[in-house]
Amino acid sequence: MSARKIGLLILILAFGASVETAWQVRGDWRVGPEGCRVIGGRFYGPSYSFEQTAERPVPAGAPLRLEARNAFGGVSVTAGAAGIVRVKLRKVVFLPSEEKARAFADRIALRLSADGGTVKVSTNRDEIGRGEDIGFETHLEIEAPAESAADVRNEHGRVELAGVGSGDVVSSFDGVSVERLAGGLRVESRHGDVRAAGVGGALDVKTRHGNVEISDVAGASKVDVEHGDVRARTTGALDASVKFGGLEATVVRGDLAVRGGHSELHASDVNGTARVETSFAGIHLARIGGDVRATAQHGEIDAEDVAGQLFAQTTHGDVRLDRVDGPVQAIADHGGVQAGGLAKGARVRTSGGDASLDGFAGPVEVEVERASARLAPRAALAAEVTASATNGEVRLEVPEGSHFDLDAESRRGELRAEVPGLSAETAGRPGRGHHVSGKLGGGGAAVHLRADGDVTLETRPALPIADRPAARPANAASTPAEAPAATPSSPATPSKPAEAPRQR
Amino acid sequence: MSRPAFSPEGVTLGVCLVAVGVLWTLSNLGRLELLPVIRTWWPASLALWGVLELADLWVRRTSGRS
Repeated sequence: MSARKIGLLILILAFGASVETAWQVRGDWRVGPEGCRVIGGRFYGPSYSFEQTAERPVPAGAPLRLEARNAFGGVSVTAGAAGIVRVKLRKVVFLPSEEKARAFADRIALRLSADGGTVKVSTNRDEIGRGEDIGFETHLEIEAPAESAADVRNEHGRVELAGVGSGDVVSSFDGVSVERLAGGLRVESRHGDVRAAGVGGALDVKTRHGNVEISDVAGASKVDVEHGDVRARTTGALDASVKFGGLEATVVRGDLAVRGGHSELHASDVNGTARVETSFAGIHLARIGGDVRATAQHGEIDAEDVAGQLFAQTTHGDVRLDRVDGPVQAIADHGGVQAGGLAKGARVRTSGGDASLDGFAGPVEVEVERASARLAPRAALAAEVTASATNGEVRLEVPEGSHFDLDAESRRGELRAEVPGLSAETAGRPGRGHHVSGKLGGGGAAVHLRADGDVTLETRPALPIADRPAARPANAASTPAEAPAATPSSPATPSKPAEAPRQR
Repeated sequence: MSRPAFSPEGVTLGVCLVAVGVLWTLSNLGRLELLPVIRTWWPASLALWGVLELADLWVRRTSGRS
């Protein structure tokens, strides 16, 4: 056979193969952001839709449990008339002609049965789906009495509940949407988003690979999410576990507890306490009505307008606090602490980052390593202050009207105490154990300042410790955050940091 | 050595090119759907070629006897 014949044979066969391939993928190829691709499978190509309906009377007023089982199609349960359950099955068959699709759809049967107080809705898709390479969807649209407890199991289809009594949903590979439930809701979902709005009872949501959005939940909420974001708005107490996704909680009418991993956490307007932890991301809190305990690894912590006591600990990140009415304890390893408006004192420890307190009342204890400390009380000093800096400096800005006993030492630097009225005794000399002790305003609380570097005291005019009082959480008319931060005219009562939350 | 006047593969290629061109044109004119027609009839090109090869063989044998 000559080369010309071989070439022509290859040309014809290649042409035929191209035509056959084009014929197979016709209608199944898509051009999207990922480029041109061919989608195979049973659920593509021409399809035809058919409907079947059924209804079953149920005892009116009696508690009803509705069980719906489905796959490859949506399930919607809505509130309907009392005393009857109506079901519409929409069958979508993927076949080239309507005749073939209708013949196949006739084999798909809706099953509606009742057993005592339980109504079961399903199809025979498991039986006819075996051994058939035909794609078909079964969509169930159910109307049930408003007090029904819906129990839905579905795969590869969206689940929607609206206006019924309560919900228990297990779903995968599509979303879940719930609204206006009179009672509680439990959702377990994989590879799909969950949205719940208006839940009258408790909420329990567990998802993998999907986002969660909940709002207007009357009861306590428990959320467990991996590989997805959480948005919660106006809920009861919220207990959340979030990994590899962020959390944003707004208006929590109760306590907030969040265990995060690789999760950025934002929470605001929390009426109760907030206990939050995360790693490799930050924590941001605002308007917390109770105590705060925030722990982060490799992330920063921000908190403002906190009514109770606060504990914040982080590594490789800073702590920033503004307007905290309770005692504060802040620890930052490889990070600094900046705080202001602290009404009941603070205990601060940092390494590798400066500590700066701008506006405080109550006892303060600051310990910094490889960094410096700056203390600016703003209001007249009336409580004990202790500050030490290893390989750093200490600076204290003394408000007018302060009275205290001073004990200050600069081990290798200079000690400067430019405070009018300070009766001081100096020992040692700059660079070699410079020590000053004395009294201001006749003496009072003890002020201990120690630093390897310079120690500086300067006078400042007295001001309020914060520009404004700590804000209350939204929708918290009777929460403990109402009292303003201390001012020079009404200094806060000194107390030990990190003690029990104050009672109001 | 002179080239033979009749070449089965040449005729096959020519007929196929004419057929594809005509069909494509008709498709562009909206007279037919190209893909189903080509998908149905493309194996006929192999049959056409085979028939032409047989005819060529018969012609050579006939001319060799005379």
